[in-house]
Amino acid sequence: MADALAYLHFVVVPQVIDGLIIGVTLALVALGLTMIFGLLHVINLAHGELYMLGGYAALALIGWGSGYWGALVLVPLLVGLAGWGLEELGIRPLMPRPDRAIVTLLLTFGVSLMLRDAAQIVWGTQTYSIEAPLTGVVEFGGVFLPTYRLLVLGVGVGAIAVTWWLLYRTRLGAVLRATAADPAMVASLGIPVRWVYAFTFVFGCALAGLAGVLLSPIYAVFPTMGHDFLIMAFAVVIVGGMGSLFGAVLAALLLAQVHSIASLWIPPVWAQTLVFVVMLLVLIVRPAGLFARLGKA
Amino acid sequence: MHAKHGVEAVRAVAAAAQARRRPRAGVRSVLAAVPSASPIVRWTGIGFLVVAALFPLFGSGFYTRLAIEAMLFGSIALSVDILLGYAGMLSLGQAAYFGFAAYLTAVLYTHVTSSFWLVALIVAASVGLLAFLLGAVAIRASGVYFALITFGVAEILLKIAHNTRALGGSDGIIGIPVPSVGVFGLFSIPLKHNLVFYYFVLAGIVLVYLGVRRILNTPFGRVLHAVRDNADRVPYLGYNPFWYKVCAYVLAAEVAAFGGLIYPLLRGFVSPELFGFEVSTKAVVMSLVGGIGTLVGPLIGGVIITFLEIVLGGITEHHLIVLGVIFVVFVMFLPDGFMGLARRLVAQRRGERS
Repeated sequence: MADALAYLHFVVVPQVIDGLIIGVTLALVALGLTMIFGLLHVINLAHGELYMLGGYAALALIGWGSGYWGALVLVPLLVGLAGWGLEELGIRPLMPRPDRAIVTLLLTFGVSLMLRDAAQIVWGTQTYSIEAPLTGVVEFGGVFLPTYRLLVLGVGVGAIAVTWWLLYRTRLGAVLRATAADPAMVASLGIPVRWVYAFTFVFGCALAGLAGVLLSPIYAVFPTMGHDFLIMAFAVVIVGGMGSLFGAVLAALLLAQVHSIASLWIPPVWAQTLVFVVMLLVLIVRPAGLFARLGKA
Repeated sequence: MHAKHGVEAVRAVAAAAQARRRPRAGVRSVLAAVPSASPIVRWTGIGFLVVAALFPLFGSGFYTRLAIEAMLFGSIALSVDILLGYAGMLSLGQAAYFGFAAYLTAVLYTHVTSSFWLVALIVAASVGLLAFLLGAVAIRASGVYFALITFGVAEILLKIAHNTRALGGSDGIIGIPVPSVGVFGLFSIPLKHNLVFYYFVLAGIVLVYLGVRRILNTPFGRVLHAVRDNADRVPYLGYNPFWYKVCAYVLAAEVAAFGGLIYPLLRGFVSPELFGFEVSTKAVVMSLVGGIGTLVGPLIGGVIITFLEIVLGGITEHHLIVLGVIFVVFVMFLPDGFMGLARRLVAQRRGERS
């Protein structure tokens, strides 16, 4: 009995906390994806590469002497800027097409290939590690946690809270939700829907960049980091319901827990397979995911 | 005088009606179907076949084998086209069936049997079953989910192959024997010879193509088209779109499996990369480059991309960035691919002549 408690205390609990931290960063990436889908009806397959770009941008900025904290502030802005370029040059010209769901998907897919290979050309295939700015350990009732992970948790939760506040407590958020519900009506009220779309896209990309810079000291930086992470993020938005903010956050936490706890007993790669099995099961029961789209009741 | 006006008016109305039926010049869509039965597709197809038939007489052994590879990847592109061009479903994971068929083929040849037809039968049945089960889940979720689920499933199959020691892990399965194909017990085709193998695969891909075209020209294909254009209205006509999509999905999986059935014989080994998203991506690029909805286009796109990669491979090792650029350029500027371009050029010349 004491053994079981100790196991729970020293093995399961740290794993759950780890899962929580990954879940929060996963939620950042998934939030961007789901917002962009909810408003623009665009699936941004380059989202994982924007996350990757976040990692590399942090690497470059720290190399130039910005320090980690500087990078934490600057990287989301830079990745947001990259996202703006993608929106302006790639997505917007395709929006009037009748088959925009498919063509934008193909376009962002092409962009993701370009970005990944570009990263390989610039930085090579090797793995870079970024030093965490905080090195200490914090103890909570016998469980030791690296301070940096707590920082990731704090910043991640903060970013999610800001997103929520922005969407549900500001005028801009009201416009965003209205656009998700009926863009034609919003446009006829004199609001430039074009800029609403651009803002949403840039904001979503900045979130991915933030996740990239937050996770890079934990996972290191390498060219395919975005690809692997994006697949998890897709599972999250599918389970949560495409376009649902609440669903994305909840599903991210849930699936990260499934992955994290299952990793205790089975190899991590099989844990990822298990995440997909969970996703398929959810789809069988609820084909449109657990929660409703942004802009719907 | 009066009568002439009347005739002109009728002509004008007819021309206007025709113009309305044609897609508007400015708005080109990836689904701007050049119908697979149109003359330009037929003549391109025949021309292509003639070139393919004569090709090994001029190319070296290396290029002959490369051409075989192009045809096999072309079959995955064709399977993407069946889904996207005819049912409006974008699959980002057709490599799942290619890889699955290739692994199954490899396992069967190394451990069970050396009979080509028995292997083909088992592969066809297993792929059909797998595609039915996965397709039913992915299609029920419909729309954009479909693309993401297919993407994820292929990725998971890759991970399973990569981490299963019995399947050789990351090395895959090597030393797959090349069988001879018996024909009605009369004679057998030795696939060991390059030329024989080439014409065997060419015949196979032509049969697959003709079979697919035949199936899609039946009422089944018409309903599928209707599902693509307006899935909400189809049920009112008494058809259930779901089953039509599932059938299309299984058909497409079988076409990709054709490539998977032959590929291990060409290379002598299979590896987890066959499931990889690079294979799936390449297949989508191939059909985009060739022209979606034309069936011939993807096969031509397969040849273009495969040979382009070899040429580029001599210059740079960064294939992905080139694929990415091709992707973006075609999506933005040439969404109906080379077949669409060819049709516009022909239409333009006709317009000049008259």
